[in-house]
Amino acid sequence: MARANSRQRLGPLILGRATARPRGRLQWYAYLSILPALCFVALFAVYPVAFSVRLATHRYVLTDPHNHPFEGLRNVAEVLGSYYFRRAGLTTLTFTASVVASVLAFGVTVSHYLNRPGRLAGFLRVAILLPWAIPVVMAGIIWKWIFNGNYGVLNALLVSLGLIPSYVSWFGNPILAPLTLVIAHVWKWGPLAAIMCLATLQAVPRDLYESAHIDGGSGWAAFRYITLPFLRPTLLILLILETVGGFVTFDLVYVMTGGGPGDATSLLSWFAYAEIFRFLDLGKGAALAFIIAAVTLGLSLVYVRLLRLEALYS
Amino acid sequence: MIRQRLIDAGMTAVGLVLALFILGPILWMLDSSVQLDRDLFTVPPRVIPQQPTLDNYRYVITRTPPKSYERVTMGGRVSGEALSILPALRNSFIVASSVTAVVLAVGAVAAYTYARLQFAGRDLTYAFILTSRLIPAISVAIPVFVIIDRLGLLDSHLALIVVYVAFILPFTIWFLTQYFGYLPRDIEEAALLDGCTRFGTLRRVVVPIVAPGLAAAAAFAFMGAYSEFLYALFLTRTIAAKTAPVVLVATAINFDVSFALASAALILTIVPPIIFALVFRKFITRGMLVGFGR
Amino acid sequence: MMRRVVTVAAMLVFAATAIPMQPVARAGAGSTQLTFTVWTFAVDTIKENINRFQTRVPNVTVNLTDYNWGQYNDTIVANFVGGSTVPDILYSSDHWLQQWAAAGWIAPLDDYFPQARELAKSFAPYAVEGMTYKGKLYGFPYYADPMAFMYNAAVLRQAGFGAPPQTWAEVLEQAKAIKAKGLVQYPIGFGFSLDEPFSIETVISMVYSEGGNLFDKDLNPAFDRAGSAMVKTIEWVREALRAGVMNPESLQWDGVQAGNAMKGGTQVFFITRASGLWELNNPQFSKQAGNFQLAFMPGATHETVGFVRFYAMSSNVPRRGKEALDAAWQFLNYFGGPGPDNNYPVVRRWALDFGLGFAQLPLFKDKDIRASFGRWVNVERLESIGQKHAKVKQGLTPWFAQWDVFARAELQKAYLGQQTAQQTVKNLASKWNELRRR
Repeated sequence: MARANSRQRLGPLILGRATARPRGRLQWYAYLSILPALCFVALFAVYPVAFSVRLATHRYVLTDPHNHPFEGLRNVAEVLGSYYFRRAGLTTLTFTASVVASVLAFGVTVSHYLNRPGRLAGFLRVAILLPWAIPVVMAGIIWKWIFNGNYGVLNALLVSLGLIPSYVSWFGNPILAPLTLVIAHVWKWGPLAAIMCLATLQAVPRDLYESAHIDGGSGWAAFRYITLPFLRPTLLILLILETVGGFVTFDLVYVMTGGGPGDATSLLSWFAYAEIFRFLDLGKGAALAFIIAAVTLGLSLVYVRLLRLEALYS
Repeated sequence: MIRQRLIDAGMTAVGLVLALFILGPILWMLDSSVQLDRDLFTVPPRVIPQQPTLDNYRYVITRTPPKSYERVTMGGRVSGEALSILPALRNSFIVASSVTAVVLAVGAVAAYTYARLQFAGRDLTYAFILTSRLIPAISVAIPVFVIIDRLGLLDSHLALIVVYVAFILPFTIWFLTQYFGYLPRDIEEAALLDGCTRFGTLRRVVVPIVAPGLAAAAAFAFMGAYSEFLYALFLTRTIAAKTAPVVLVATAINFDVSFALASAALILTIVPPIIFALVFRKFITRGMLVGFGR
Repeated sequence: MMRRVVTVAAMLVFAATAIPMQPVARAGAGSTQLTFTVWTFAVDTIKENINRFQTRVPNVTVNLTDYNWGQYNDTIVANFVGGSTVPDILYSSDHWLQQWAAAGWIAPLDDYFPQARELAKSFAPYAVEGMTYKGKLYGFPYYADPMAFMYNAAVLRQAGFGAPPQTWAEVLEQAKAIKAKGLVQYPIGFGFSLDEPFSIETVISMVYSEGGNLFDKDLNPAFDRAGSAMVKTIEWVREALRAGVMNPESLQWDGVQAGNAMKGGTQVFFITRASGLWELNNPQFSKQAGNFQLAFMPGATHETVGFVRFYAMSSNVPRRGKEALDAAWQFLNYFGGPGPDNNYPVVRRWALDFGLGFAQLPLFKDKDIRASFGRWVNVERLESIGQKHAKVKQGLTPWFAQWDVFARAELQKAYLGQQTAQQTVKNLASKWNELRRR
């Protein structure tokens, strides 16, 4: 069964084989029908990338608007060699790893709760859509206020519960500030993961669990041997989405921390933004953007590869 | 028996904590929006409103401070932008609905082709469209800015519509290709035999069946366009085109922000997508089932 | 289900179209349009000023846009880079002048208005210096102020101190005593946020107050020498945070938030523009009004930064031609100069209604202003700080703005103890040299 389904389950990433054989007019129709889409995408993919190549290989400093010599890979080399890139890279990796782990854990556990019978779970199945529906910058704003060091409701709550002795400066602490970003990120994107996992869970045939029960399987064993194999493709998709999403996180940083304190939350996207809009170095900004794009593309390809292997062996 | 009850109670507690985590932040905004700053800027902030008031909404909507409103603007730093949330919402709506319409029309046609027809370059173009989505937005910020500037579109609805269509279209095509792929072919074949053209089949036979999928795709597209921030930030300048996220962020990260006012503005901004999500809930879930389940 | 969806969708669309567009100001026939961009501060007053200006000079129509102070430079840069919708007149600061001028975004006034140079003779020299790039004047002052040290005298008395601190060591000592007595949890709080352009002015003031220099005559970094005033300043902030006498939220705050803590009585020492005292001592805004005093900057020399914010004219105006230039001159003269009636209509109003400092020297003789300032500040001390101790920021160059943004984050790391003061100044110096070479 698993094998028969593998292509369908992989559907999200690879194109199934179409059966209709093209004939003259149909062939024309096919090209015509995808042309508008291709044009839109190409205009904002091909030209920008080509343009970025030009920027990245030239000197483009806005305070010196008439001087653009060719510099080859110097911008890329300077960015890669800089201490700040290494720091931002490390921060981004830590952040990405944290959000991937937290969002996946949230998705799996919460979806199990949502899959329970009962009113509360039913209510939560609706409620969980709300964070997903709220634009990410709004989520950032909301959490920024909750974590506010002077008047924040979280500090008030924790103090009244006796969990902390006095108000904590969440954004003033280089360890807590990234944590606030992770929490806001999980709040915003965890629900989507939970909904996706829930959709998968609901597709698991009940009788599988029943036969496992008869065999005396524990809850863990049922999860390990029945649920998990079903969840795996969904989790892999989430893994890609979250890795790429974590890697290019910008909105939350812009709204919540501005990269601080110090450079504790200065993720690569933020670093690129600062290079472009604050340091006015378009050449370096473009070089940095390329590095980010290369990493995300590379990661995605690795994952897709893993998915294919997965499909072969499942 | 007792053990079962304990487990149930524990599970309820877990559910309540989960509900608090999910809904707490939104409820706190709602709560803040009906209070005044003097109650929020206290230690601890007032959680149960003493005298709930709609003055914040009145201020945001009419742009004239009601009498009961104390002067929150110490030093007068409430930005002119802060109170332009209504025109910004209007911009957001125009942009998001147009994007949704274009993306659905263009995307459905292309997706149907990808799902049903075999032709030279099919896999290549499909891969190209999907991969384009993997380029991070920040990476092409400058070139996109330059394109929009050269087209003379800066600070217009059209600028955002064009850019968002390009960014959302790949997802729509992927999603609908998946969706179309699951549809039974028999009906189409019958229609084809009856002499319908491919396009005719799509319009008369397929569209009605796939309406739920289209609705889900529409919801995703609308949400995507409504939420986008980075490009809206630097492709717009004035309230002629600024969208709700941009205006709200400008308000909210202002150091001297009024919590109460900004909460009211924020609530106004998140209500439409929430309604959207709840109305389209069935489609979205079903859509996900198709995309990720099975 | 489908019908419900359609209904709701229709309602949403209807709601969207029912929201009225904002009324757009329509220009009268034959009048010249000027777009004017400001950072958000007292926008209502600016609008009133514009209305008065339009009444007095009826052939010019002004359209106002405002952006947040913290994101102002970013936003302006983005606008200029696009190039198609740049403002005509805009607020600027000595931080950014050289960056904007070097990029050709703003135009030198002397090239178009020969009378500007003459008028500049009536401005305070440090302000003129802050508005000059390559020998040319780029603006008329909106306001100009020294950075100043202020304290809550009532709390100081309660803690048993009769006089404000004279040195930075004394500031720490008094703060620790105040905290120990349980009077205030965090006696010190500054605006050190990454988005606060004032933060560099606070730091440079502290360096100046010890007689330190940031750069030598050839603009080589002088702050990175071992034991420099900058190193001592960084270590002082680090110590204040470590000892728990400086509010850790300082790294998130701008001047407004630190000022709010002062007004609420939860903070005792503060550095900001001297005119900030207007708000602190104004009972309309401040519970502690009347308790705040201006002090000389603690330290060996009491020197401090004098800065200027000004009206700049974008290069768009000369491109638009003579008519636009005439309108711009009328505007600049009205807002930053004596105006057609020789009464400094706008500058005087900012001074009277908001206590903003000014560089237009003739106004120092204005009786109303002296009387008004006397209500919230020791005027003699203010004048003395402005004339004897205020110095323009060293290192104003086309790359100062970038270095400043970089410095804010580096300094925070040092304050947090993530790197040593010595390492920090080394990083700051190498960034300076890198930007300079670029």
